[in-house]
Amino acid sequence: MSAAANVSPAVAKPAHVPDSLVYDFDMFRDPAYVADPHERILDLVKNAPPIFWTPRNGGHWMLMSHSANFNASRDTESFSSEFIPRAEMAAMKAKLPPGMPHIPLPVPINVDPPEHSKYRTPLQRVFSPKSILALKDSINALATELVDSVKDRGNCEFMKEIAEPMPVRVFLKMLGLPLDRQDEYREIVSQHLSDPSSDARAMIPKLQRIAASMNDTFIARRDNPQDDIISMLWKIEIDGKPTTIEDMQNYGVLLFIAGLDTVMNGIGHGVRHLARNPELQAQLRANPKMVPEATEELLRRYTFTVPPRMVAKDIVFEGVQMKARERAMLFLPAADLDPKEFANSDRYDLNRENKVHIAFNAGPHRCLGSHLARVELQVIYEVLMARLPTFRLDSQRPPTFHCGHVVGVDSLHLVWDV
Amino acid sequence: MKILINKAACAGNARCAAVSEELFPLDDDGYIAVTEVDVPPGKEELARRGARACPERIIIIEEDK
Repeated sequence: MSAAANVSPAVAKPAHVPDSLVYDFDMFRDPAYVADPHERILDLVKNAPPIFWTPRNGGHWMLMSHSANFNASRDTESFSSEFIPRAEMAAMKAKLPPGMPHIPLPVPINVDPPEHSKYRTPLQRVFSPKSILALKDSINALATELVDSVKDRGNCEFMKEIAEPMPVRVFLKMLGLPLDRQDEYREIVSQHLSDPSSDARAMIPKLQRIAASMNDTFIARRDNPQDDIISMLWKIEIDGKPTTIEDMQNYGVLLFIAGLDTVMNGIGHGVRHLARNPELQAQLRANPKMVPEATEELLRRYTFTVPPRMVAKDIVFEGVQMKARERAMLFLPAADLDPKEFANSDRYDLNRENKVHIAFNAGPHRCLGSHLARVELQVIYEVLMARLPTFRLDSQRPPTFHCGHVVGVDSLHLVWDV
Repeated sequence: MKILINKAACAGNARCAAVSEELFPLDDDGYIAVTEVDVPPGKEELARRGARACPERIIIIEEDK
């Protein structure tokens, strides 16, 4: 079967969508996209409308331009993060027979303002720049240990050996989840995110599976608090009421999904770029102080998350008519490659004056973990520059990718001289 | 020179503070702590850079007249 045959079936275009705004793109399985994601994104930026409708995966909008993504992210009254309306969710819960598992609602990511802040505020302090900076030395030690473990070999499969264990271990430790279940957790999350289902209700059993995998730890921390996020969440109040096990599951599913499958892919894209650009490696080795700037430009050039939104009411957005309950993807990778915002956007330019990307999104849902992500990215680039000689891609085994709400790297084989 | 910040729209990116923690103080949650800052002489360029770094575009520089 050819790769194209795997693309999801096309649905009929709604009447209000003009032909000129239809562009056929499967954000999970487009063959060129999966072969080399950001090359395909550049092609879309050049050839697709700044906002288009694709008939794939149930039919949805794609917001391409920087302005569309920026404005939609900040207009939460038009672009909602609540995929199952509250009334419907309440009705579903009311109908559940007693003893059935709770339906986890990922908070704060799937709650709109103003409710959003009551769930987000308790988490902000543990993810603040100051709190994260205090973790930098231990992150550095872990990165060094992982890089040193492959150093003498002259090659590694970077994703499995370094990009995945580093942020996953940091995050499980922050949360208080057992490190020995790392592989099991990772498997649950990657399955969850690679599911192209367009129906929020179909996600419920998967969210319940995630919540169930953490339940033992929730109970253990409630009865015996430690210095971790799960214990901290037991101590907070929401609407003046102490946290319940349902609240813990709501927080748990979000932290789990957001923490276990994001940074590793950012690292993958960045390290692939470094492996293909030995002159950039040389520059950073000569001047490690440039790593933070280099990290920002890597985030801009290889933005990799695609948050979904639900159109909350009939609107005309940047000249495009959208109807309530339609889905719109904030295609942030395209926003950060928009030539109207970034001149020669395809070029990686360490000296670019404007590197103000929205890789972590804009508006109230700005990535809560962005400060942690930045430190992890900077640390791994610093450690690679300090510990390894010039590394390059293994020409025999080119990198492989997956696409969806996270545009990720599956494998990245590196080689260097020993 | 003055820095004017639409504090209510701050999303906690903390990019301004990455340019200058002194000019752009954050609260314990990592959000901007102030709405207005008088820029000390010699810090004008730093203030402009900090304002430009904001992904939310909510920091405005008021140049001296």
